Amino acid sequence: MRINNVGLTPNQKSANPFKTSRNSTTNPFQNVNFEGNTLQFADVFEGFQPKNTSKLKMITSSVAGSMTKLRNSITEPIVNFVKRIGEGLSNAWTYAKNKNVSDLAGVKAINEVMSTDIVDIGKGLSNSISDLGKGISEKMSFLNTDVSDIGKGISKKMSFLNTDVTDIGKGLAGKWNALISKVHSGNKITKDTSVEDLKAMWQNEIKLAEEKEAA
Amino acid sequence: MNKNVAEIIDALAAHQDNASIEVLEELGTNSPDNEVREYTSRALVRKNVHDSLKIVIVNQGKGINDLSPAVAMSTINEILSLKDKAEVIKILDDTINMHSDESVRENARSVKSLLALS
Repeated sequence: MRINNVGLTPNQKSANPFKTSRNSTTNPFQNVNFEGNTLQFADVFEGFQPKNTSKLKMITSSVAGSMTKLRNSITEPIVNFVKRIGEGLSNAWTYAKNKNVSDLAGVKAINEVMSTDIVDIGKGLSNSISDLGKGISEKMSFLNTDVSDIGKGISKKMSFLNTDVTDIGKGLAGKWNALISKVHSGNKITKDTSVEDLKAMWQNEIKLAEEKEAA
Repeated sequence: MNKNVAEIIDALAAHQDNASIEVLEELGTNSPDNEVREYTSRALVRKNVHDSLKIVIVNQGKGINDLSPAVAMSTINEILSLKDKAEVIKILDDTINMHSDESVRENARSVKSLLALS
């Protein structure tokens, strides 16, 4: 689409629709119309005049208000506050001056530790470690007892299992030996066997195979 | 294959009478089991007599003419491994010259060619 198609000539300025108006009128609906008719409620803002207030006057009143609030928030005079702090410092100095350094709580505890013999400290540590070791040993002894019991239980179970397997093996061996002896006790197939017997045996095998397939 | 059947075939192969050959042909070469037919054909070749070799060379569907390639090839291998090949060559020549079936003649011709090359 070309510009000429919009209906504007190159020298003609179009109104910026995004430009805000800063004129002195307070009627925001002054230029609003609906199909050429001005809206009726725009008349409400006619006759309203803005106040011409000085900026310096506004700042002065703001500072005065802040000072008033600050003065009301201080409940104690500054002279009394300074006096109280000075008394506190004086009391602390008097206490420190009249008190022996070795009587101070922290220094006293340090002196007690330093006066203790190093051998006694070692004994105390040794006793503590010994007690700890005894406790662990007692725990481990209970653990070892439980493990040995578990092992004994498993051993008993395995012994029963071995007995069962042995019985099963004995049973299988007995059946197998019986089967082998039964086979060997029958007619042995050798080259000395007659052709008639071999034929009969072969026919018997064929019959057994057919019965097996049928079953 | 059943172990007893194999032992029976071995025992029949060790016999020298024609009755054993008849039993092998009747029960062995007509068996529906390929392994039994293969084992029987090899036993008949190992006999290396006219009647036994004739069964595996001339008869259609038996020995080298078996429908199972495994049985046919196994029989041919057994023929090729014979030390005395005189009788088998004679039967092959008669089959090539006189047999009525072309496929049997062709198989006999192929086996004879393999014998010549071996």
